[in-house]
Parts: sequence; structure tokens; C-alpha cells
Amino acid sequence: MKKLAIALYVAAVIVLMIWGFYQAMYVAPNDAMQGEIFRIIYYHVPSAAVAFVFFAVNLIGSIGYLAARRNHHDRAQTFDAWALAGAEVGVVFCTVTLLLGSMWGRRAWGIWWTWDARLTTTLVLWLIYVSYLLLRRFAAGPQMQTLAAVLGIFGALDVPIVYMSNRWWRTQHPAPVFGGAPGSGMAPSMLHPFLWNMLAWFAWGVMILYLRYAVERHRQKIAAREADAALHETSSI
Amino acid sequence: MDQAAIIDHEFVVAAYVITWVVQLSYLAWLGLKWRAQKREAERLNRNSR
Repeated sequence: MKKLAIALYVAAVIVLMIWGFYQAMYVAPNDAMQGEIFRIIYYHVPSAAVAFVFFAVNLIGSIGYLAARRNHHDRAQTFDAWALAGAEVGVVFCTVTLLLGSMWGRRAWGIWWTWDARLTTTLVLWLIYVSYLLLRRFAAGPQMQTLAAVLGIFGALDVPIVYMSNRWWRTQHPAPVFGGAPGSGMAPSMLHPFLWNMLAWFAWGVMILYLRYAVERHRQKIAAREADAALHETSSI
Repeated sequence: MDQAAIIDHEFVVAAYVITWVVQLSYLAWLGLKWRAQKREAERLNRNSR
């Protein structure tokens, strides 16, 4: 039953991705000011939104781990696996956001990069979560998960700063399209393709997130079995 | 089609390709990691028998 549900979900994600691509490339009109380059928005903004949500997953996992680590070992490991999955998949989406933003900037502004508030805070966010992943990869010992959880909580503080950066500081990056000044928003002919792509990328992201979580839980169980086996060997000597 | 429109089109295609290369590379890496872990679990099962 579970396998069937997963297969159906994967099939739905593939259909959504194809539909989203079709909407972005063939249904949405060119922007009156920017022309075709505006179509990058259908991948750039959903990638940023998914990254933000997954960094929030990391925040919840990190807080949960710190709360449960002393008395509920298995629950703490579950929270930790969600935290790792959120950070890692969030970094993948944040990488796409930065790359696509840079390409869009090259055509729209004539430059690949500028130290604008939105770009800089997003780069800092990416660096924080890359350092989170490096900490998990290279630090050893029982304190690693605790340190990673604390870093994850601090990292999440940058998410609202990134979100608000082009509202607080008006620099190079355009003002918010949604929830910005009066008159901001999108024409329905662009909004529908945008929402389809938002849905498709969220569905894809959730699939990848769950897969990463499952891989980490599997790794934790193998590590626990190896530790048990080593303990038995030691006690038998 | 003028030159700027052609470059815009190439940038959009490149952006979409880069997105999929990043996403599918990560998915492939996860798949390899999963397969390595399954082998490790099988090895542990064999050793515990």
C-alpha cells in the first residue's frame, strides 16, 4: 500500500513538472519590459520559496532534537534526520536560486553579481547552511548533532532577513512581486503558470526531502547496529 | 527575431537546463548513497548470522 502511494506520488510529481514546464515555456506570455528572460521567474522564485520552507523544516527539526535528545533518543534521531534533510535539500534549492538569479541579473542588469541586500543575504544564508552540512560531515563525537542543531537555529534567523531585505533596503534587486507595494502582483496570464510551477516544485521538493530523510534514518539504524556489534565484540573479549 | 531576443531565449533554456542538472545530480547522488547503505546493511546481516 505504501509503495503504491509513493509510486502514485512520484507519477503525479512527474506530470506536474511536465505541465509546469509547458506552462512556463509555451503558455505564459513574454514580459512587456523584459521579454523572454522574465520566464526565469517560473523556476527562480519557486526554488527560493522551497528553500525557505525547507530551512524552516531544519529549524523545527533542530529545536525538536534539542528538546528530545536527553529523554527520547529515537524521537531525537527522527528530528535530527528531518533537520539534516531540510538543510541539505534547502541548499540544493538555494543553489538553484542563486545560479538562476545570477543569469537573470546578467541579462537584466548587465552584471552577474552585485552586493545588493537581497543577493548578499541569500548568499550568507547559503553559506550558513553549507557550513551546517560541513559541520555534520567533518565533526565527530556525540556533540556534533547538538552543535549542528544550534547552528541550524541561528541559520534560520537569516531567512526572514532575506525575505524582508528588498522591502527594507531598496537596492538592485526588484521590489517584491507578491505582497509588495500597492499595484504589485502579476497578470493572470502569468500568475497561473507561476502557481503551477510553484506547486510542481513544492511537490518535487517534498519528494526529495522525504527521500533524504529516509536515507538518513537508514544510516542512523546501520550506525546503531554497528555500534551494538562493536559493543558485543568488546564484551566477548 | 533580433539578437537580444535570441540571447534571452538561450539564457532561459540554459537556466532551465542548469536547474535540472543540479536537481537530477542531487537525486542521483541520493540514489547512490541509498544503494551503498543497502549493501552495508546486507553485509551486517551476513556478519551477524
